[in-house]
Formats: sequence, C-alpha cells, structure tokens
Amino acid sequence: MSQLMQAEITDCRETAPGIWVTEFMAPSLAQGAVPGQFLHIRCGEGSDPLLRRPISIHSVDRQSGRVKIMFQAVGKGTAWLASRRYGFIDIIGPLGRGFTMFTGEQTGLDCYNPRLVVVGGGIGAAPLYFLLQELARMGCVQQVMVLLGARTANQLLILDAARVLGFNVRVATDDGTTGYRGPVTDLLAEELQRKPDFVFACGPSPMLKPLCDMLRDAGVPGEVSVEERMACGVGACLSCVCRVKDTGGIETYRHVCVDGPVFAAGEVVW
Amino acid sequence: MNTEVNLGGIVMKNPVTTASGTFGFGLEYQPYVALQRLGAITVKGTTLKPRLGNPPPRIAETPSGMLNAIGLQNPGVERVAEEIMPRLAGLGVPVIINIAGDTVEDYAQVARRLDGVPGVAGLEVNISCPNVKKGGIQFGSDPHTAAEVTRAVKAATGLPVIVKLSPNVTDLVAMAEAVARAGADALSMINTLLGMAIDVDRRRPVLGNITGGLSGPAVRPVAVRAVWQVHRALPFTPILGMGGIMTARDALEFILAGATAVAVGTGNFVNPLATVDVVGGIEQYMSNHGFTNISELVGLAQRYTGDN
Repeated sequence: MSQLMQAEITDCRETAPGIWVTEFMAPSLAQGAVPGQFLHIRCGEGSDPLLRRPISIHSVDRQSGRVKIMFQAVGKGTAWLASRRYGFIDIIGPLGRGFTMFTGEQTGLDCYNPRLVVVGGGIGAAPLYFLLQELARMGCVQQVMVLLGARTANQLLILDAARVLGFNVRVATDDGTTGYRGPVTDLLAEELQRKPDFVFACGPSPMLKPLCDMLRDAGVPGEVSVEERMACGVGACLSCVCRVKDTGGIETYRHVCVDGPVFAAGEVVW
Repeated sequence: MNTEVNLGGIVMKNPVTTASGTFGFGLEYQPYVALQRLGAITVKGTTLKPRLGNPPPRIAETPSGMLNAIGLQNPGVERVAEEIMPRLAGLGVPVIINIAGDTVEDYAQVARRLDGVPGVAGLEVNISCPNVKKGGIQFGSDPHTAAEVTRAVKAATGLPVIVKLSPNVTDLVAMAEAVARAGADALSMINTLLGMAIDVDRRRPVLGNITGGLSGPAVRPVAVRAVWQVHRALPFTPILGMGGIMTARDALEFILAGATAVAVGTGNFVNPLATVDVVGGIEQYMSNHGFTNISELVGLAQRYTGDN
C-alpha cells in the first residue's frame, strides 16, 4: 500500500559524473515494493520547483529497511535532491505497477527455469538493479544475461554491482571506451538468436522503440519501463499518458503512474 | 466555531473543495487523504461521450506553476453516473461534477443525466477549458453564449449550478454578470491562464497540444484579483475561488476577497494533504483571531477600497 512519508536520509553520494545515489530509511518500502515501481519525491521546499519528481527504486535492503534511489541531477529539482545529505525527504510510494514477474500477475513465463535477458540503457539501468537483486534472491543468476549500454564507460551505472551479484554482463558504449562500440540493442540482437524466454528493459525511448520491434520480430515476450512527465503520480491528473494498443488492437492511452511504468513490450505504441 | 458554507445551494461543512481535474474522481487520493474532512469533492470534467484527451506531453513545469493540456480526458457521463458515483456517494461528502461539452445541447444532456444521481450535490459548468478545440473556452469568452449555456443547464437540472469562468477574457465582470443573470447559482474562478513553453534544446513547444493552461502559485494574484472584482460587482453571488492555493493563508486571501468557498488544485500534486491542511489552518486562524463563523470573513477585505 502506497503511503505519504518523511524518510530519513542515511547517505547521499555521487556514484558517477552527474549520477547520485540517495539512501534513506523506509522499512515499509523495503518490505512492500516491487522492482519497477517508483517513488514520487518532493524536490524543494518552496514553490519553485513545484512538482514532485518520479524516481524509480534502485535497491532495497529488507533487513535494515533502507532504500536507495539513483538519479541524474539534470534540473533544479534533482540538483536540490542531490544537495540533501541528511534530514528527511518527502516521499509518496511505492507507486505504479512493477515487473509482473513480481506482482503476482500473469507473466507469460510459464516455462521452468526461464532464460532471461535484462537490458539497461543509461540512467534506465537504475531500477534494473532492484530487479537483479530480486532475481538473485530467487536463485536465478545463472539464467540471466545482463546487457548494459551507456554513452561512455563511466556511465555504466550498475555494471560493478551486477557483477558482484554474480550475473553475466555484456556492455556496449557509444564511444567504445569499453565493451562493444554501438547500441546495446546490437547485443540484444545476438541474445535473441538464442531464443530467451523473457526480456526486461529500461532506458531512453530511442533504445526502447527498436527493442520492442526486435522482440516482436523474434516472438520473445518482454516488459519495458517507460517515462513520461508526471504531476500527481497517483492517477488523478491524467498527465502521464502512454499510447498503447489494447488486446483488441485498439489504440488508447494508459497512465504511466498507475498502469505503468512497466508495460508489455508489445502493447506500447511508439 | 461554524465553518459551514452554502455555495449556491450546496451545503459544505467547511469551505474547502478540490479543483476539477486535479483530484481525479476522488478515490485516487483516498490512500492519503481523509476525504470526509473535505467540504466537497469536485471531480474531473465530464462530457457526454468518453474522451481520449490530448497527445503527450501533457504538462510542463514553469516557475512556481505548471502548464497542462490534458484535453478533458474522461470516461463519459454514463460511466461516471453508473460506476463512479456509487463509489463516491457512500463517503457522505457532497460531490460537485464538472461538466463540459462541444455544443450547448451537450451540456444540457450531461446535466440532465446527472440530475437525481445519488451523491451529486451540484454541477460546475466548465465554459473555460483552454485545451480543447471545440467547447470549453469558446463558450466562456462571449457573454451571450456563456449565458446561453447557463440557461440550458439550469433548464436541464434541479441541481445547483456553478459556472466556472476563464481569466482569458477582457472583461471578467461582464461575463460574471451575464451568467449570474442567466441563473447561475454560484461562480467559480479562475480556470487556468492560457500559456505555453518552448523546449529551447529541441526548438519546439514542450506540450503536445502546443498551448496549455497555467496553474499553481504563479497565478494566485490574478485569481485573487478576479474574485475581488467579481465579488465587488455581484456581492450576493457566491464564489468558489481557486488559483494556486497551497496553504490556509492562500485560501484566506480568496475568502477575504469575497470567495464563499475555495478549491485546492495544483497544490494536491505537491502535497496530497493540502486540502485537509487548509481546512485545519482556516480553523486555526479563526480561533486565533476570534472569528466564530466563517461567513464573517467572506469579503472582509472589501472594506478597504484603496482610498483609505
């Protein structure tokens, strides 16, 4: 159940150039959140910046009750958040629908020991670490291939952490500073030839759009986490729409904050 | 202490409601807000047929405000009456339904459909949405058409009718007078101010709809002025004041200018508890300053005309 809370900051550090990780105490989130869900965080004290910022959950520690978010300080709001080293932050969460493998919904994963691919691009890798934590907890490490893409080597945000959990990771950078030089979707194309059972992805639209096309062509099911400008975060203001095709093939809008941010790869209309 | 107000026939236990479009159909905020604390709940603009709304991006943050161009997305009056109202009626809080249409007859049909639906305490007629091609503002920028819509809605329903005015007009008082003469039981003001923002890096408008409605603290002085002017001209027409209310002090500005009731809009997004904080803050203010009835505060600042 989502709550409005004041959570005490326990750590805040710049983990890569312009990328911040803030840790805070929120036992109810640590217990109840599902990978792919997000928090709606107040990023200022006055009226400018005005709106909360939706930021995905990066990791949870159920035992200590600590939760981490990872975000890029790009504007006034996120810069303010990055400047908070102690004290409390005002959070609504957990919000949205996470990856269905963890929400108790139908997943399309009906095979035993499924082979999974996790694809992260840029800051989109942030929520995928929580996903990897859960997959590791389920003992799935050997069945997962993690593909990470970024502009340059120091923006491969969850590379070390994924390896520490024991996952196989392949990387792609735009500038070739490490790994494959080119889009991470090129690595996915190779993986799709091995017919995985399911693909999880989060990243910028220029990555997700071709990725959804590739999954459709390969006949591989998957889920993608998308972003949209958001005001209320709870389904009231109807701002954050994502165009989808419903089961009858009719195009309609769904709301990223309550119907998403995770959508089936095949339903999103790019 | 008495905080009860009568907004043109809608009896509210305190003067605080939600601004249409910022509170969904009320239930979205139920996990966070004790809805029973609200004087009324004003729900999303409802039209005859379901509407999909505008293409994204639908919002943009601006200094101390935001632009929105949702485009009246709603499930249509039939679903509101059949599926949503039964869930809201049990709360025991008056529900005000904002209605919109493409034609005068649309407004009348929506009003007729909602007449007698349990839980509906009143209608707010939206003649001021800046974000739809037809309907909305076109009815709210000419006093004659505004009066025509008002008369049609009044004829179609026995419910109290509040007409929501746009600030995007040359003479707001003339609009207010026209709809009041046409039978409006109350007026609400202000709807959003037409605005736009441009993404300088991509060299294109931010909003999918190009223009949108500005709300939030940035518009508050415009809204307070609107309430002040209209209350001065029409002292016996109750006003539902709104525009950038975040706190009780903001709400009190509107009440002192002449608003009988107030609505919290964009403030809900920032602080889901804004409405109940405003209710508590008004009670605290009354207690601190020795007021026993909220009606003593309505329009109190009008004693000062600027001459003294």
